[in-house]
Amino acid sequence: MTTAPAIASALPTPHRDRGATTGARLLLRTSLKHDGRLMAPWVLLITVLSVSSVIAYPLVFPDQTEREGLQQAVAANPAIGLIFGPPTDLLTTDGFNAWRTLALGGFLAAMGAIFTVTRATRVQEDSGQAELLASGVMGRSTRLLTGVAMALIAGVITGVLAGALTVLCGGGAEASWLLACTWTVTGWMFAGFAAVAAQIGADARTSTALSISTLGTLFILRGFAYSIEAPEWTIWINPLGWMQETQPAGENLWWPLALGVALTGILLAVAFRLEGSRDFGQGLLKPGPGPDRGRARGPWGLAWRLSKGSALTWTDAFVLLGFIFGYFATSIVDLIEPGSPMAAALAGGSGSADVLVASFLVMILSMIGIFAAIPSVQVMLRVRSEEMEDRVEPVMAGSVSRPRYYGANVLLALVLPVLYMAVAGAVVALLAARSDLGVEFREVWVQAMTIVPAIWTLVAVSVLVVGARPKVAVAAWAGVVAAFVLTLLGPSFGLPDWALGISPVWHVPDVLLSDPDWTGLMWVSLFTLGFTAIGFAGFRRRDLAVE
Amino acid sequence: MTEQSSVIDVQGLTKSYGRFKALNGVDLTVAKGEVHGFLGPNGAGKSTTIRVLLGLLKADGGTVSLLGGDPWKDVVELHRRLAYVPGDVSLWPSMTGGEAIDLLGSLRGSLDEGRRKDLVERFELDTSKRGRQYSKGNRQKVALVAALASDAELLILDEPTSGLDPLMEQVFQETVREAKDRGVSILLSSHIMSEVETLTDRLSIIRDGVIVQTGTLDDLRTDTQTSIDVVLERVPDATELAPLESVTINGHRVTASVDPDKVGEAMKVLAPYGMSKLAVEPASLESLFLRLYEETRA
Repeated sequence: MTTAPAIASALPTPHRDRGATTGARLLLRTSLKHDGRLMAPWVLLITVLSVSSVIAYPLVFPDQTEREGLQQAVAANPAIGLIFGPPTDLLTTDGFNAWRTLALGGFLAAMGAIFTVTRATRVQEDSGQAELLASGVMGRSTRLLTGVAMALIAGVITGVLAGALTVLCGGGAEASWLLACTWTVTGWMFAGFAAVAAQIGADARTSTALSISTLGTLFILRGFAYSIEAPEWTIWINPLGWMQETQPAGENLWWPLALGVALTGILLAVAFRLEGSRDFGQGLLKPGPGPDRGRARGPWGLAWRLSKGSALTWTDAFVLLGFIFGYFATSIVDLIEPGSPMAAALAGGSGSADVLVASFLVMILSMIGIFAAIPSVQVMLRVRSEEMEDRVEPVMAGSVSRPRYYGANVLLALVLPVLYMAVAGAVVALLAARSDLGVEFREVWVQAMTIVPAIWTLVAVSVLVVGARPKVAVAAWAGVVAAFVLTLLGPSFGLPDWALGISPVWHVPDVLLSDPDWTGLMWVSLFTLGFTAIGFAGFRRRDLAVE
Repeated sequence: MTEQSSVIDVQGLTKSYGRFKALNGVDLTVAKGEVHGFLGPNGAGKSTTIRVLLGLLKADGGTVSLLGGDPWKDVVELHRRLAYVPGDVSLWPSMTGGEAIDLLGSLRGSLDEGRRKDLVERFELDTSKRGRQYSKGNRQKVALVAALASDAELLILDEPTSGLDPLMEQVFQETVREAKDRGVSILLSSHIMSEVETLTDRLSIIRDGVIVQTGTLDDLRTDTQTSIDVVLERVPDATELAPLESVTINGHRVTASVDPDKVGEAMKVLAPYGMSKLAVEPASLESLFLRLYEETRA
């Protein structure tokens, strides 16, 4: 094996091909040993998601009436469909599990695959680790092959583990295994997408961003296509649509999985073709030279300079999100007629058409609001990564107080959601005002902006974590995740108001109605203040750049 | 603030990371206007001391005075008067070197435009490349230009020239001398002996979190041996060469070491044997440091 490169340069094709992947087995074994644990959270999350639904369903919904109640609640909240896709059958454990976990589990499997492939390729090239590897007896495509192999193996492990445990915990065999296979194949497909993106991006960050925005777009479009009952081709051009069309616990179709496997093969073939002609550390997109002089003059300038690129991308994303959610809101107006079961569930049975429209818009805008907290959490987490990557030292060696440095980042994290809600809110308001919902542009836009204080609370959680307890940096996501779960799933699980009220978004007043109640938001803002104060105090006191 | 003679005054500084004691009572004084070498083996506590001086880490014990202030409390005021170059410069991947220089300069409150231009030229730095595209040496130059173009009173340099080529090393030494002529005090941590020898006025050696030696290079040399390498016409008996130590005789060639203050005496002893090809050298810096680093290990 060690002489392969020498032979490869001397011999034509067949041996040369093998030469391109020399050393893959050794590298794979080492990588699995050292980076394998980084894949574990994704595998476990998906498994827990699936197992928990088969265990919880019979306990939470023991009889037929309660199950029908759930079905009505889900049907009544079309926004849920944007994320979870259409339910096949919510009256059985398997149907419930398929509805709750197919899309979300696929999303997690895809994220895991993207990070695994990018880490083994471009991240290592940027950090310099790959240079050490590539200088060894190793073929040109070995590192890509290793990354892809790790992602494919992780996909298989996910499927086997989640499938087996779900069946053991009471899931039906065929539905559970089919469901588990959709996660495997989704992971595979996105290992393919990530492998291609790794050849295109100018660096690790752009490669990751390319893969994740592909995933995000396909994910939202899939939900959108189902929710507005779009023509069937819009589902079939979307690889995530194929997974949905297997309909576990419904038709139980296996053949759409083959489409996913075929796509994986095609993507990987393209990736390896591109890899063969790519320079180390570079992609098809090349960065141009930048400005000689800088305009960033202080912590605020720096924070904005580092976020500018992604802020523009996110703004585009929120225009798209506003359009999708807004279009969706206007297209279902005829569904929400007073007296329909949907109306009953939405407004507690007591709603006139106005109340229904208002509460529906609030819900849609709240979901956009939770998304709008994500970029801000990333801004706060970057404070930590700047520390750990040795970039905070030269900055703090300047004439900068800690509160000012932290404050600049916190300010940016608070301003961004205002921008995003203003943009997405305007798009939704425009679409809503032009439809026959009977609302005006101004009031819908104002409604969008009332969500901002609740978003700030979610962001303040990350301000607290990064400032005071950076060791558990991942907890910075706690606010966003809790709000997401409570807003989407809380009502369908029939959670009491006090539990739903943990999510700050639940307290947003309905300004489309007369006499909106602002007290909730005031309470929520007290938490924002408290969290932020603790974050600042922590950041001022703790050692910087220490594990 | 009163006029003071020392810009850095550290007494009994201790710092632990969890159970690991990084600093065990460091005493370090840097006089105003001097270039002070800060040396020690890897992991001895140099960077930890510097991070405490920069107010990034909070001292567990001892007193630390920087430019007459407290580095933990008076961050803003003090950092307006100092500039720092780390040994491993990490630049923002998407920002150009020029942008980074301007940012770091502005954070400090001042950037001398004329000197910035001059330094960029002398260090032959392309300021329009992005952080990721710079080589190690060029990243180092970005940080050096930013620090040297400032009007800081104190430069804290932590292995600033790692990765620089010999030509650039020379430019660095020139610019440090110029800074010293402007009256800037400099704390220089380095593993490059020639740099330490030509630039520093005094130096401190840290080992296992304690300063084990402080003084001028000559002070440190007084208790090291001078080496003698001589060819003699008549071969003496090793026992007759009293002040000389560790004598080796190889044909007519004699190598030995001697205390620096006994060199004259040694010459008197050797003269009768008919000296030719005589070389008398004070201990090389390398051997001096090897000894100092190792001595403290025992």
